[in-house]
Amino acid sequence: MMMLRNLKFALDSAWQSFWRNLAVSLAAVVSITLILILAGLNLLVGHAFSQVLDGFRAKVSEMSINIADDTPLSTVYAFRDKLAGDPRVVSVKFVTKDEALAQFLADPNNAELTQQIVGNPLDAKLSVRVRNLSDVTAIDTMARQWPGVDPTDPTNYQGNFVTRMLQLSQWLGIAGVGLMTMLVIVSVVIVMNTIRTAVYHRRKEIEVMKLVGATEWFVRGPFVIEGVMTGLIAAAIALSMLVIAYEPAVSRFSADITFIPLSYDPSFISSLARDLMLGGAMLGALGSYIGVRRYVRL
Amino acid sequence: MVLTPDFATRPVISFQHVWKRYETGTEALRDINLVVPEGDFMFLVGPSGAGKSTMVRLLIREEKPTKGKIFVDGVELGRMKRRQLPFYRRRIGLVFQDFKLLPNLTVYENVAFALRVHGEPDALIKTRVAEAVDTVGLAGKEETYPANLSGGEQQRVAIARALVHAPKMIIADEPTGNLDPATAWEIMQLFLRINARGATVVMATHNREIVDLLRRRVVAIDAGQIARDDKSGRYHDDASKSQVRAR
Repeated sequence: MMMLRNLKFALDSAWQSFWRNLAVSLAAVVSITLILILAGLNLLVGHAFSQVLDGFRAKVSEMSINIADDTPLSTVYAFRDKLAGDPRVVSVKFVTKDEALAQFLADPNNAELTQQIVGNPLDAKLSVRVRNLSDVTAIDTMARQWPGVDPTDPTNYQGNFVTRMLQLSQWLGIAGVGLMTMLVIVSVVIVMNTIRTAVYHRRKEIEVMKLVGATEWFVRGPFVIEGVMTGLIAAAIALSMLVIAYEPAVSRFSADITFIPLSYDPSFISSLARDLMLGGAMLGALGSYIGVRRYVRL
Repeated sequence: MVLTPDFATRPVISFQHVWKRYETGTEALRDINLVVPEGDFMFLVGPSGAGKSTMVRLLIREEKPTKGKIFVDGVELGRMKRRQLPFYRRRIGLVFQDFKLLPNLTVYENVAFALRVHGEPDALIKTRVAEAVDTVGLAGKEETYPANLSGGEQQRVAIARALVHAPKMIIADEPTGNLDPATAWEIMQLFLRINARGATVVMATHNREIVDLLRRRVVAIDAGQIARDDKSGRYHDDASKSQVRAR
């Protein structure tokens, strides 16, 4: 019961203090909203990038092993079965020379080349899909040691592209963490100063509270709640703006830059909401705790 | 009714060889030894800078002694942990020269504030505040804001706030310092009534007339030392009395 009464007192005081210092409170809300929008954008870009990367990943986890023309079919089947039994491999498909040519001709990108083709210069191949991108090189080595492989052009896969994309995604991840750290520091400092202003406005009340026997947490409570309130309001505003802008931005981007397979993902909004609200509340709590700590020591 | 201090009763405050030196190097108190029995009414007098306020600050544990021990109601203040401090302060009532009222709260809310901070339930707050406001003669002014009260009335509100949790001891630092003589006298009557109900009162003051009229225990501080401790003294040393004088 006493806890509830103290909580009510803290909530009332925080609410009053927020409105009493409206100008400072609003300035803090606006600054933190901007910071959370940046943080939200960072999350959204990160998510979009991983979406795009997943798309590419599906494509590049496929490799083809070219088969020399004079390889007996039984050798090909034996190697196909060996690959199919490998836990790193998802699927193996044998593509004959004719099928390979048909596939080549069907691709509109090859329209000009098809006119110059005489006979069938293409190899038969084993089309292999691996489970993890990192397994591509191992399967490649295995294929190169197989006697049935075409020695002039053993395998095809986009290994370098994949490695580069993974590196880029790592670098982007590090940059994102760096940006987030900076944003966290800036917002904590903003909340800290807002709460210090509130503490200054209420210094007399704090003095009286201490003299009549308030515990440190009783004095701190309202300020920490005020900080959390500021953070939550800012998070709610930032979230609404990001949600409103998300779909139009994605469709505009996809229309302009078609080769990057970016798509609108409404399921990400709930995790974005959770992250922003939690982040806002924690930034507010941390900033106000640091802001008020020194001034309410008994 | 006026209670005569009875030095045979249980000591509620005890200073044992207390020294206080501030970080600036100022030696505010030097070897203070003092016992205040339960129910006593004691004036702390002396010139500005003599060490009265330091004694008050030590009593409310805003400061710790540099050397020596202070016991209040059996608790040694110097060894008290920070988290115990609020609970100690809830056992005493404090009154200051500048009233320390919250201007945005009404009389009722100011008095209730102490109990709210202690987390007391609303029903108890209502009864206790009504009693305290009645004791200080402000019944009917519960909804008034401090700015609309006279200085004397504001000090009454502060006294009601100091009383509302029924403390065993009231510590007052220059409570009449901002009041005219007639109002100061009314406030003193209030302190006497509180003392008559059993509360120990320690009052630092410059008000010579009141000290001389009441003839209660007077502890005179001079240059950080107890210059005089009279059972029923006056503000200034009586030339005919041969009391201990430090200088």
